[in-house]
Amino acid sequence: MEKLIEILEEIQPEVDYSACTDLVDGHYLDSLSILSLVADLEDAFDITIPTVEIIPDNFNSADSLWKMILRLQEEG
Amino acid sequence: MVYVKRGISVLTFFMGLTIFLVMLSFLFVPKNNMTEFGMEEVTANGILGEKENTIDVIVLGDSESYTSISPMHIFKETGYTAYVCGTSGQQLSYTKTMLHRAFEKQSPKIVIMETNAIFRKVSTVKAIVAKLSDFFSVFQYHNRWKSLNLNDIKGKVKFTWVNDFKGYQYRDGVSSGMDKDYMKPTDEVAGIPLLNLNYIDKIKSFCDENGAQLVFLSTPSTKNWNYSRHNAIRQLADELSCEYVDLNLLPAEVPINWNRDTYDKGDHLNYSGAVKVTNFLLKYLGKTQLLTDHRSDPAYEKWHDSLKKYEADIAEKLK
Amino acid sequence: MFHFQSYFSVQYLVFLLPITVILYAFLPQKARRVVLLVSSYLFFWAISGKLIVYLLFSTLSIHHIGLWLSRIQTDEEQRLQVTVKEQRKEIKACFLKKQRMVMAFAVILHIGILLTLKYTPFFASNVNTLFDFLHIGISVKIPSFLLPIGISFYTLQAVSYLFDVYRRKIPADQNLFRLALFMGFFPQIMEGPICRYSDTAHQLWEAPSIKWQNLTFGIQRILFGVMKKMVIADRLNLLIQNVFGKPQSYDGFVIMIVMVCYTIQLYMDFSGTMDLVIGSAQIFGVKLPENFQRPFFSRTISEFWKRWHITLGTWFKDYIFYPLSMSKPLKKLTARARKKVGNHFGPLLSGAIALFCVWVCNGLWHGAGWHYLFFGMYHFGLILCGNIVEPFVVRATGKLKIQRDSGWYRGMQIVRTGILVCVGELFFRAEGLRLGLDMFKKMFTNFTLTTLHDGKLFSFGMDRYDFLIVFVALIVIFMVSIWQEKGISLRAQIAAKPIALRYAVYYTLILAIVIFGAYGAGYVPVDPIYASF
Repeated sequence: MEKLIEILEEIQPEVDYSACTDLVDGHYLDSLSILSLVADLEDAFDITIPTVEIIPDNFNSADSLWKMILRLQEEG
Repeated sequence: MVYVKRGISVLTFFMGLTIFLVMLSFLFVPKNNMTEFGMEEVTANGILGEKENTIDVIVLGDSESYTSISPMHIFKETGYTAYVCGTSGQQLSYTKTMLHRAFEKQSPKIVIMETNAIFRKVSTVKAIVAKLSDFFSVFQYHNRWKSLNLNDIKGKVKFTWVNDFKGYQYRDGVSSGMDKDYMKPTDEVAGIPLLNLNYIDKIKSFCDENGAQLVFLSTPSTKNWNYSRHNAIRQLADELSCEYVDLNLLPAEVPINWNRDTYDKGDHLNYSGAVKVTNFLLKYLGKTQLLTDHRSDPAYEKWHDSLKKYEADIAEKLK
Repeated sequence: MFHFQSYFSVQYLVFLLPITVILYAFLPQKARRVVLLVSSYLFFWAISGKLIVYLLFSTLSIHHIGLWLSRIQTDEEQRLQVTVKEQRKEIKACFLKKQRMVMAFAVILHIGILLTLKYTPFFASNVNTLFDFLHIGISVKIPSFLLPIGISFYTLQAVSYLFDVYRRKIPADQNLFRLALFMGFFPQIMEGPICRYSDTAHQLWEAPSIKWQNLTFGIQRILFGVMKKMVIADRLNLLIQNVFGKPQSYDGFVIMIVMVCYTIQLYMDFSGTMDLVIGSAQIFGVKLPENFQRPFFSRTISEFWKRWHITLGTWFKDYIFYPLSMSKPLKKLTARARKKVGNHFGPLLSGAIALFCVWVCNGLWHGAGWHYLFFGMYHFGLILCGNIVEPFVVRATGKLKIQRDSGWYRGMQIVRTGILVCVGELFFRAEGLRLGLDMFKKMFTNFTLTTLHDGKLFSFGMDRYDFLIVFVALIVIFMVSIWQEKGISLRAQIAAKPIALRYAVYYTLILAIVIFGAYGAGYVPVDPIYASF
């Protein structure tokens, strides 16, 4: 989880990730930063994020992102 | 219980809305028949300023009507009083409005309907706005919010303006139109939109109720008229048992010279063409024996004033 | 019998919608679905006549292809269950290939119809220009097709449905009529919003009974939309037509005013239509996705496009941008680029390629014309620049100790974004790219305030009163927007107020439309701008 926050902060430092729940809907992450994020996450957690997973529900908060990562790791 | 309550509240809502619309209609209706007061189509609506029960004949229709018929010429020759309530591109919804307006203070014996307007499709929106305007004139005059003043709030409606040309609109210039074959006989019948037929029915029954005779008149125009349209109106006139006169088929009585009598290649007539049509029309009106000569009637003194101005104006323009 | 020009026609507002609502209200659930479907096809028929076969064909084909995909998927699962782990990958790949073939066929079919109908004339005329240029004495006959209404919208819905089935986001629908309603629902068929199957299909099919609150909220929203359209968009129309029709005769200042007016008109027309559409659907208890989220409060162009025509933007994002940028070659590119140019600029490269495709599509989706393409490229450029410059701006503002969250900085960003958008819309509306460029140039080379001083500005199609009333109406909309931005539901607030106040709101809206609406003699209503895309 810390690693995730670190990655997020590198991409967009102006957000409080512990509290924010509308990263996408609140226009904090635009599509290009999501691309960076996906690339970072895939590297850092050794997962592949398929296109279907890129929906606001998964990307709106650090929490939901973390859940998605865990799920994808399990599925391997 | 909830439904009853809601029903009542919806009902009161619409009653309130109606009251507002009525109030606004009083506010927005033009208080005089001049452009400065927000009146539309002033030449046609000049009839509102005429003295009560002085008009014998009204003419309805589009630009064909007000370029082809000169009421002052009729008055000069016969003493009959006519008024042209034609407006540019008139749709039958407005024709009906003008008819009703004219009959508010006048009781004409003859209503002449220029037939070109019968073929102009009335848009549904126009028809509905016209219907609404019958009840709430705010729908027609809403744009007057730009020029509302104190007088509109307290003022009474009083129409004072009269038009010396009685609705005729003078046109000069010549641009010849050489379509000699435009009245080639055919069996085809031009179509009249359903909504338009409905309007004509209403106009006819309004005339019947008010004791006026409805006459269809097709003025000469190579651009707008043809034989299939003639057939359509012929049929319509027969169905409604109206008189129908098609001047396009009467070259002997109305000898239009398409080289000289039109200003826009046969679409409309210029002054010389209008005189020819009017000369025919005044004889036609005489034959009906419904009308009387008002020239020596003191009640029509104002018409003589108008005639003087009209003649001076025409003489000036013809120079 | 019917002739609809737009949702703002008497035919829709006085006949089709109320009659449908009344029938819907008094019939049982199963019949309500039928009412919606019949009204939808009636509406389509009234506008496009026989061309309804295109819609029917698209509906039938996605129904069939959806089931086809679903058969392949169940087949795959069955096969996977009986095979050993080592072979599973192979089987997966094999079935993926099958599904891809089906999808390719489906996409070519649907997008192909759209492209053929919409773009062959453009393509043919450009081929002719090229031949002419090369002095080849051949000319292609330029065909012209009648476009069924809303084809640009429902085709995207069809494709999104198939993609979602393909991605197993949703199961394929067995029920043809549910799909038909999803594709053709009459309030949204003409100008969107572009819906997803998962958002609306089941809502529509459920056909809940009419609720008082939905009815009143829906009507309020419709009235608000009509106000936007009739009081503002239609009133601006004459001025805009005059100036864009003959830009040579106006100076830079007038062009600037009209550029802003056109942007306002476009926003009011489209968002007003959306208010009417979403309000209509709300009456039936259907929640359509929003298409606007106060776009003119955006701080960047990229944000603007997330708040303007949202459903189109998300469609492009989900079905073009991410699939492209996450595709294998581009992912490899990203990985390599990140090593060389770092974390910020690395993904930018593949992102830019995908973004480029999105904006070519976006530009062309709006119409077959070079100026639309230019419009797309303009926004592509702006978004890309914004992303490249971003880290430098952050550093610069940091050094200069500028508070990026302060009110004036935000305000500056909002104004800047607004200006950039207006300039884009100038090219969008201009009759051809060359005229657009001329008009743009004029704002700098021929800028005088004389028309304002001598009052001539008020003779080009809008007088002082017109400007005044548009201004007042915009203030009202601005206030409403601020409330919405703060997350306050205005309609819920109104509903909680006493009856007299609630009535006053309705009366004000209705009477404002009656008095200040630009209808009747002397006005030409705007053609539904987005319906022709």
